[in-house]
This record gives sequence, structure tokens and C-alpha cells, in this order.
Amino acid sequence: MDLLSFARGPALKVALAVFCAGVVWRIAAFALLRIRRDLNRPRNSLFKYLGAGLYTIGTRSWPHPEFIRRTGAGEALGYSYHMGLFVVVLLFAPHIAFLGSLFGITWPGLPNSVITVIAVISLTLFLAVLFRRVTSPVIRMLSNFDDYFSWFITMLVMVTGLAATAQIGARYSTLVAVHILSVDVLLLWFPFGKLMHAFYIFPSRAINGAILARKGAAS
Amino acid sequence: MITRDAATPASGQLSVGEMLLAHGIGRRGFIKFCTAAASAMALPPWMGAAMAEQLRNAARPSVVYLSFQECTGCFESFTRSFAPTIENLIFNVISLDYDDTLMAAAGDAAEAALASAMRDHFGNYVVVVDGSIPTGAGGAYCTAGGRSAVDTLREAAKGASAIICVGTCSSFGGIPFADPNPTGAWPVTAIVGGVPIINVSGCPPIPEVITGTLLQLVSTGQIPDLDEHRRPKAFFGNTIHDRCYRRPFFDAGKFAKTFDDEGARNGWCLYELGCKGPTTFNACATLKWNGGTSFPIESGHGCLGCSEPGFWDKGSFYSAESTPQWGKAGEATPKQVVELAGITAGVGAVLGTASAGVSRLRQASRQKAAEHEHQGDE
Amino acid sequence: MSDVAVEGLPAQARVAGAMQGFSREIGALSAFRLESCIHCGICADACHYYVATEDPQYTPIWKVEPFKQAYKREASAFAPLFRLFGFKRAVSAEQLEHWQHLLFDSCNLCGRCSLICPMGIDVAALIEQARHAMFDAGLAPKELYDKAAHQRATGQPEASAEPYRDQLIAIGVRFDVRIPLDESDVDVMLCIPRTDIDHYPGAVAALARVMSHLGVSCTFRSDGLIAENYGYYAGGREWQRDISLRLIDTAIACKAKTLIVPECGHAYAALRWEAADLYGKPLPFKVLAVTEFLAQELGAGRLRLGNATTGPTTFQDPCQLSRTGGVTEAPRALMKAMGVDLQEMRNNGSFSYCCGGGGGVVDIERAAPLRYRTMEIKLREIDDTGANTFLTTCSDCRRTFDDAQRHFSWDKSPESLLELVAKNLIDAGAGR
Repeated sequence: MDLLSFARGPALKVALAVFCAGVVWRIAAFALLRIRRDLNRPRNSLFKYLGAGLYTIGTRSWPHPEFIRRTGAGEALGYSYHMGLFVVVLLFAPHIAFLGSLFGITWPGLPNSVITVIAVISLTLFLAVLFRRVTSPVIRMLSNFDDYFSWFITMLVMVTGLAATAQIGARYSTLVAVHILSVDVLLLWFPFGKLMHAFYIFPSRAINGAILARKGAAS
Repeated sequence: MITRDAATPASGQLSVGEMLLAHGIGRRGFIKFCTAAASAMALPPWMGAAMAEQLRNAARPSVVYLSFQECTGCFESFTRSFAPTIENLIFNVISLDYDDTLMAAAGDAAEAALASAMRDHFGNYVVVVDGSIPTGAGGAYCTAGGRSAVDTLREAAKGASAIICVGTCSSFGGIPFADPNPTGAWPVTAIVGGVPIINVSGCPPIPEVITGTLLQLVSTGQIPDLDEHRRPKAFFGNTIHDRCYRRPFFDAGKFAKTFDDEGARNGWCLYELGCKGPTTFNACATLKWNGGTSFPIESGHGCLGCSEPGFWDKGSFYSAESTPQWGKAGEATPKQVVELAGITAGVGAVLGTASAGVSRLRQASRQKAAEHEHQGDE
Repeated sequence: MSDVAVEGLPAQARVAGAMQGFSREIGALSAFRLESCIHCGICADACHYYVATEDPQYTPIWKVEPFKQAYKREASAFAPLFRLFGFKRAVSAEQLEHWQHLLFDSCNLCGRCSLICPMGIDVAALIEQARHAMFDAGLAPKELYDKAAHQRATGQPEASAEPYRDQLIAIGVRFDVRIPLDESDVDVMLCIPRTDIDHYPGAVAALARVMSHLGVSCTFRSDGLIAENYGYYAGGREWQRDISLRLIDTAIACKAKTLIVPECGHAYAALRWEAADLYGKPLPFKVLAVTEFLAQELGAGRLRLGNATTGPTTFQDPCQLSRTGGVTEAPRALMKAMGVDLQEMRNNGSFSYCCGGGGGVVDIERAAPLRYRTMEIKLREIDDTGANTFLTTCSDCRRTFDDAQRHFSWDKSPESLLELVAKNLIDAGAGR
């Protein structure tokens, strides 16, 4: 079995299995802890505060005007590499073929040249993110192995993907195999680290937003 | 490596040049032929003249062609070479001393020809192998003249100056080697060693790649530059994808989705239809087939990747390169994915519930401890 | 819970206590909050302690770091792996002692960080829970701990020279207003911050005056008088419950349908948003902030207000009333009705900076230098409005600003919005 067959065969299968099991495990382990009912009389109706919770998903995507001056640049940096990542992951033809065969649906993609440009920009931003993490005293203090390893593995996926597209360093089949292997590693790591925020971000905003709105407080 | 001595004609033998003259082919004509062959091999033009000079003074080297577990497709391909043509090659350039498909002799006479070639040119003859070598049942799946392929190969290899494996079967095992490999088939490299082996893979290989490799070997006496699968880089240095005339459509993100859609009619990229061009190293997109007429992608079908090791076991020919392939079953279907996700998510849910349960128990015991302490105080 | 002296606890017992408190508290919601943090550090930019000092340790989510650590080791999905491989070390007593400074001295529970988190985490809620564990570890600051203990035992955080009942009567005499006291079968029960009794008796009188003007059947009760809850500040969950129960039981006893919380932010938070949970069932009466009540009366046309001549005026939103309590519009409606020329601060309403004294910080003596440093942000914002008058509706805010006035020789002193209302009452019948 060559490297590519291994990467997109058994390795991918194991990675997906660990990913699915791990994600559900991790979520169930805290979601099934005790949930205490809030007995205090709500200020807003259920309908209204649940709606406000959903609204928070959108509004929390960008800082409130009061905070923009201090955090706007940092958040813009974070969101832009995420968006670049999503475009590359979701709109690059080989990725669509990959996801399409997993889920049975496909969609139109973007030209490779556009994808390559976006990927290079995202990669640059991703380097800037690491730079920020190690130079900002606050973020450096908060960072642990999880942050750096999650960064590293995501970076590895990006770099190997770009190398495969540009065919730099080794032959295409090897580069693609290494790229898919790095995705396998990412899937394996996913449930154990901060990458889980992909599943948390919207429910977290919605739940905390709804709890605040229940009190009539700002969210 | 072929020694220079091997190319020097023995006394009483005509050199290639003398022979060509006897056939009315002059020096000019021969240089032209060699230049054409050199360009087919992507060698610099001056190599043609050098090859011609070398060949003119060389004795026609002895070549034995061994057919094992094969379909003769490779040989069919071999016979359709345009530059150099097979008749030119076998009548003028090499001495094809054994080939059970072409030779007039049969039975014991044929086997005797093989034995004498191997004896007379020991250390100097070139072996061409076509087909994989079955080792199952003591090699009984493929025998000629009562001898198994594996024995024949081992013996032939002893006195060979080089072995050229023609086709994916002899190079990488090919279809007989594919799962479940009922005959215990192996490629040449798994059976013999200690002799230079050149793989000319493909199912079949491009005719000009077979003859060109052979010509280069006998004319220069050098083993050509090989890649990690021992294939001549001159022919296997690039992927089909890199040289494909449909590549601009790939780069622009324009793909045929089915074999009869608008994209297919417009000649867009066949990547999503499973074309293996991106991972297949071969010269199809440049040399093409039938004297440069066309190649599979040009006729509307994706590359099968036939010149790559294990091509038969890499899943469906019609699923895109980047798609998941789970073992023998080939491409993972959405249904399989859902099943996998469902089962593993179920496992996760059980583990998660257990984790939460343990945490709750720990909490309850701490609560109890705290209450106990509380009571103790009052 | 044992009434151990704060200092006297051995290290091991401290950690055990903290883990016990933490473990009992952690439910799906707080676990989700702890899970969600992506270490982006953005919350630092909402916190006045960080903004003023640029000291990374004041990053809000860092203040719960030991509890994040404990969660990963004790309760998360892969807790056994974390313990087995030591990915997260056990929380140490030294760590907890250091974190006392971060959880009490440098956090007002103001909730501004909860509005900035891109993951939507309510960081302040986590810090409040961490305080509970710190209390169980015997690591509540002495001032808060002692006041909470005193209030739990006696109903008032500190001994007073005269009983508060007598002081209330004296205030009635001094300000010439009837103070309804210890009545039963009333619609509304009133409580009062002891800060007001001690420092701002005018606010007490104003409350009585407004209520009597509106003709509301109401009473103060000497058996359930003090609005503050030092159990809440100190993080003693049981103590907080016991202190709240005193007010709840009294309100039930006098058959009040509404409990009005006067100008005190955290008292509102404790009674409006936490008391029912501690009581174990929904409260049988409504809890309203006084401004909320007055705005309702205003809207219903029962309260009419004349024009106040305050000049350019700015308003300090108490965190627990406005940002985390949802009482942001009510005070503005009252000011509008009085024609107040409101000059909002750059950060106002839900985004207002804390006065710096909330969450019990103003009571912690050693926290004062840091508190003054962070207050400069707020004082500058107030000065920048160009307002001459400066209103608020929280006695702890007032106390903190008055302290700052002395410290910085500042030219402004906060005034009570309630007192302003009381001064500008117009007889509802007069217009008819």
C-alpha cells in the first residue's frame, strides 16, 4: 500500500472514527452534567430571549463599537484567516470532490488561481496570528501546548496543501499523501484540543446570549 | 551496467553499421533514425549522432524476450512502435534471440535458442520481461518447456547485463498481483537482484517508450536516469496532469461532472470523473499513442493511472483522486460514512455519558463530604 | 461550612475545600463556558484593571485559570487522561493564594468582559463561581469574610452605634418624612443599603418621600432591612442564601407583593437574579429596582416630575443594575421626564466602565492603590463629558466616587437619581 492509499484509506477511516467518537464524547461529557433551572423570574419572554440568543450568534461576530478600537484589528485578523480557510477548504475543487464523496453532494468551486492566492494570504495571516500569540503578553500567558499544537497542525495542513498544488518539494502523489495525512492528524487531534471551538462557538454565543437576554441585559 | 566490450562486434559478426549498409541504409539515413529515436526519448539532438556512431560500430546486442503471466498487450504495443519501428529495431539494431511470440521456432528448438543465447552471450545479453512471475503452487501457474517462470527468470538474470521490465505486471506486479493475487504473482524486482533493472511500466506501456528505452540502453550502453520506481526519467519524469492539454481547465476550476455533460463536451478537466493524471507519471500527454494521434484523456476518458504501482487496488477509476478510499471496498460511499459516523458517534455518546456519570458521582461524593463536615460543625 | 478563621486553614485543606466548592458548583453551563475559551485574550481589553495597568494577569479569563485547570483534571471528558499523564497539574495552595488577588482585589464582577468574548463566554459568571470555591478554601478576603459572617449572624455587616431602626426614625425626623416601619399587610416591602443609612441618609428619606407621594402601601422592616449581601461578595454560597432568606422571609411575612431594592447594584443582582435559586423555588413576590419601579409609575402616569435644573449632567450606570441587570432604560426615562440635559459618557449603558468599587472591592483595604489606578479611566470619561452634575443610582458607586474625590481632590461628587426624583415630584392631581 502506498502512502496516498494509506492516507486516504485506513488512516482517514481511523481519523474520522476518532473524530466522531471524540467530539460526541467530549460534548456529552459536559452537556450531561447537571443543568440547574434558573428559578429567578425572567424579564423577557422565552420567545424573546431565545431569539436574542440566536441574534447574539451574529452580533458577537464583531466587537461592539465600544470595543473596536482595542480589539478590532485582532478580531479582524482572526476572522480573516478563518474565512480564508473556509474558502479554501470548501471551494477548492479537489476538496469538493473529497467532501462530495463523503457526503454525497457537490457544489461549484473557485478557480485554482483564486484559491491559491487566498491560501497564500491565509497562510500569511496565520503566521501573523502566531506572531501575535508569542508577542502579546496576554495571549502568550494564556497559551498552552494545545494552542501551539493546534496552530502547528493547521499550519501543516495549509503548507502541505499549498506545496501539493504548487508541486514543490516532492512529487504530487507524495505531497497529496502528506497533505491528507496531515488532515488525518488534524482530525485525530480535533476532539482533544481547542479545535473543538468550531462546535462550541455558535451554541456558546447563543446560550450565553439567551441567558443574558433573559435578564434583559445586553448581550 | 553494460560494458563497452559487449558492444564491440566479435570476429566474424557484422557490426550494425555494416549490416545497415548491406540493407542500403547509409550513414546519413541512420543518423536521422537515431535522432528521431533520441528526440522521442527527450534526449538532446546531438545524442542522435552519438548513438548512431556508437551503434554503427557495435555488434547487434543479444536480447531475449521472456513472456510470463501476461496478456500480450504489452507485446502488441511494442510491435506498434513508430520510431524506431520494431522491424528496424529487431532486424537492424538488436539480435532478438528469443521471443516465443515472434520466433519461428517452437518447442524444444525455441528453448534451445534461449539456452544458446544465454550461454553464448553470458554477461552481455539484455533480458526483456513481460508479465508478472507467479510463485504460487511452486510456480506452476506459468510454465514454458516444463520450466516455471520463476526458474527461467532466475536463470536468465544470472548472465544478463540488464533487465527491462515491459509493462506494469513485470514492473510492479500489475493485475495478477492485485488483491487477492491468487497466483502469488510478483514483479521482477521481487524475484531477482544484482542486475540493473529498468521498469517500463504501463498497461500497456507506450510503444515508443519500450523501444526508446531499449534503443537507448543498447546504443549508449548506459542505464538511463531512473526515478524511485526504476522508471526512465526521460519518459516518467512528469505527471500526465502536468503535461495535459486540459490542465488550464483544472486550473480554472472547470470540470466535467459526468461523461455526457456540457463540461465533457467542452473538453473540461476530468479530475472529478476520476482521472488519475495528477498522480500518474508517464508520457501519454506528450508522446501520445498511435504515432502521436491521441491519448485516453484526449478521447474523453480519465487516466487510469496504469503506470503506477498498485493501480488496480486504488479504488474506483471513476472517483476523484482526493476522495477517501477505504481499503478493498474502494471509494467510501456516503452511506458508509454515515454508518461509520453513526457507530463512532454512538460509542462517543456512551463514553461521554459515562464520563458525565463519573463526574456527577465525584460531585455527589464531594457534596456528601461537605454536608458531613457541615453537620459535624453544628 | 465551618467558621474557620480565614488565615488558619492548612494548605491541603484549602485545596480540598476549593476543589469541593468548585466540584459542587460545576454544571453543564459553567463546564461549557470553561470548555469554550480559545485563549484569544480579547477579554483583557474589556477589563478596566487590564486597560489601566496593561498587566496581563488581569486578563479576566486568567482569573479563573486554576478552575479551568481543575475542570480539565476533574470533570472534563478526558479528565482521567489529564490526571494520568499530568497534562494539567493539580491546583496548588500557593496558586490559590495568589489568585485571591485576581479574583477579589481586581475584579468587580462588572461583567464587561462577558460582552466582548467572541466565544460568548460569560466570564464574570465564571469568576463569581470561582469566588465560591475560594470561599470554601478559606481564601475570601478578611474584610469581606468578616462582614459576611457578621451579617449572617446579626443581619447587619457591622455593628452600629445605634440600632438601624432608631437611625431610620431619626432620618424621618431630620428630613421631615414619614418612614413606614415594621408594618404588615403591605403591597411593597422596602429595604435599604446600610451605606445609605451611614453615609447618604438623604437617599433613605427620598425613597420614603417618593413612596408616600405615590401613595404606595409599603414598609421598611427592621427584621429584614439591609439590602447588601456580603455573602455574595465573599463567595459564601450558603451565607449568601442565609442573608437573602432574611429579606425573603420578611417580605413573605408582611405579605408584600413587591420587594423594592433601592439604589444598590449588587443587592439587586443578588435578590433579582440569584435569590430564587438559593431559595429553591421562585420567589412569591416581585423584585424591582427602585428606578425600575419609578419608571413603571412614570409610564403609567401615576408619577409626574417637574423639570430639574441640573445643567449638563452625566450618568453612571451601575454594572449590576444596567449591564448585568437590564435596568438601563429606566433611569434614562426618569431623567428625560425631568428634562435632564444628559451628556453620556463615551462608554455608557451596558458598556459603561465600573466605578471600580463593586464586587466588594471598595471594602478591601489592600486593593485601594490598584482601585485608584483603574478609576482614572472612569474619572477621565466623566470629566470629558463636560457635565457639572453627575448622577448615579448605586450607593456603592457613590461611596467609591466620594472616596476618589478625597483621594484625587476631584471636583465632582455623585448625586442620587432617586434624590433628584424626590426633589422634583409634582402632585399627580395637580395637572388634572
